[in-house]
Amino acid sequence: MINILSRALMMSTPLLYGSIAEVYAERTGMMVTAIEGIFLMGAWGGFVGAYLSGSLFLGIIVAILAGIITAVSYAWITVYLKQHQVVTGVAINILAVGICSFFMRVIFGVPIIPLTVEPLATIPIPILSQIPVIGPVFFNQNILTYLMYLIIPTAYFILYKTSIGLIIRSTGENPVAVDVAGLTVERIRFIVVLIAGAMGGIAGAFYSIGYIGMFTTNIIGGRGWIAFAICFLGNWNPLGALIGALVFGLAEAIGIYMQSSGGGFFPNELFIALPYILTIVLTITRKSFNVPAQLGVPYKKEN
Amino acid sequence: MNEKLRDLIITDFLAIVLGLTVSALILLFLDKNPVESFGILFSSIISDKYTFAEIFVKATPLIFTALAFAFAFKANLFNIGAQGQFYIGSLIAVSSSLFLQGKMPSGIALVIVFLLTVIGGGIWGSFIGFAKAKFKANEFLVSMMSTYVALAIMNYLLRTVLIETKAEYPQTNPLDTSMWLPTFIPGTRLHIGFLIAVIVAIAVWILLYKTTLGYRIRVVGRNSEAARLAGISSKRLYIIAFLISGSLAAMAGFTEVNGVQHMLLQGFNPDIGSAGIGIAILANANPIGIIFASILFGALKVGGTIMGQMSGIPSSIIELMQGFVMVFVILSYFVRSQLEIRREKRKLRKVVEE
Repeated sequence: MINILSRALMMSTPLLYGSIAEVYAERTGMMVTAIEGIFLMGAWGGFVGAYLSGSLFLGIIVAILAGIITAVSYAWITVYLKQHQVVTGVAINILAVGICSFFMRVIFGVPIIPLTVEPLATIPIPILSQIPVIGPVFFNQNILTYLMYLIIPTAYFILYKTSIGLIIRSTGENPVAVDVAGLTVERIRFIVVLIAGAMGGIAGAFYSIGYIGMFTTNIIGGRGWIAFAICFLGNWNPLGALIGALVFGLAEAIGIYMQSSGGGFFPNELFIALPYILTIVLTITRKSFNVPAQLGVPYKKEN
Repeated sequence: MNEKLRDLIITDFLAIVLGLTVSALILLFLDKNPVESFGILFSSIISDKYTFAEIFVKATPLIFTALAFAFAFKANLFNIGAQGQFYIGSLIAVSSSLFLQGKMPSGIALVIVFLLTVIGGGIWGSFIGFAKAKFKANEFLVSMMSTYVALAIMNYLLRTVLIETKAEYPQTNPLDTSMWLPTFIPGTRLHIGFLIAVIVAIAVWILLYKTTLGYRIRVVGRNSEAARLAGISSKRLYIIAFLISGSLAAMAGFTEVNGVQHMLLQGFNPDIGSAGIGIAILANANPIGIIFASILFGALKVGGTIMGQMSGIPSSIIELMQGFVMVFVILSYFVRSQLEIRREKRKLRKVVEE
């Protein structure tokens, strides 16, 4: 039981990085539909960086850079050239698959045995990790999960209690007002997507070097889209994203547990499909969405 | 020729050339000579009949998935789930073929299999439209997620009820040759599925541009508010659009199972859904344009595979070429809108001067 909960928290970590990134971007009116590609590039960058340098820290830096580069290409086309966000995302995602697998081959050739790195270690926090139940679940995780504990309140605070947050929220609701106030809508959107790219890169790295220490081109397998869905289901709020990420993390942990324990009466495939079924059910049943008014709409100045 | 069409053809052509050029330059990272590699690509795809026909074999399912995306797109709906609808179509095609083979003349059996596939894919797709119409669910998300559910269903069935008699691999028994779609060029794998695809593309064009239903779908796509005022129920159209879109993608399952693989196996054509979206974008969602864009992507697939076999270039060059072509095509949309603005300005200036 404790094992499942601990695993659930671990699996929700990358989803939370991704969905908070998505919340921020969508609050400015930008759907980051390239998120699947950003995750993949992050996973790839993280692995390559860590393998070649021997340092997981450098791996994460490379993952952040890979995420940023992907996000910047996406943002340039959608923000400045005002092209369709969904369509551009699809193109970037396909290109990301091509780039990862091609350069994997360029760098490593055709390895005989699968390449691995030692994944991020869990760091038990002294004293706190000794608390029954809570300790092993919350305080025996890796560094990225601990960092997540800081990111949640910070993300919430910045979005709702600071002027930067006000600007971000206004950009998605009423970009004309932001423009009239003397700020550049395009620049705000571009920067926020760039930051989202960095976060998405970390999320991707979590899948490659966070716990299995390997990279394959299907390693993300739609998790970017799940983070995208969590942003919707969490009503564009970092706390909503937290709940969403925990639910999906739990679904994934139960899935992994049932697969390894044989699953009993239910087929494995049901558990593999669980997060996706859950997304569909929640998308259908959830009411009263607070969609940012300008979501997906390129900003065009009237003149 | 009208100016817009001319712009479209020139910029699309340039986008394809640029996309391929960038992919070729990336080969330098592998110390391969790009000119030589692409030379192999072009010369080998036209060198023999079999390989040349393969282009159209590969293009066939892409025409269907691209039509599926384009059709919903015309109603301003996003069907990102063509991959899943294709899986559902494949499942129905293979199970009904296995069931019907030998029980009736193959012509009749194939028609029944085709109809069942179309209906099944349509029902699977219309569920997405229904969720959108009834619950205002985001169709982008629902269709995206439905692919993963379809994949799980397919893997489950392949492992259990549909598994081959030997029960060794998660795949079905091969179909009886009577259930194979006939080929029409001897010595190649080119089957009549390609002709079906072309006919369906033309039919979709007629449906969209020559019928009331198509007109309504396009009105809802352009401006759902105006459509509502004109008395068009957009909710019903969401369901119809997804029904048709889903059945189009499912047809790819029929042509792939009965025309090419003659069985169903795990990891079957995993990327035709996303390639279909790219093709629809390249063709500006025009059904006739989709035929040509699919042939281009088919050629990239065949060429990429040959490059891999002949000069040790990884097959991921296919995704690279497709990705770069798509990105440049999107950039060409920007270039076209700039050209259009400049033309408008020039016209205005002319009017003012007069």
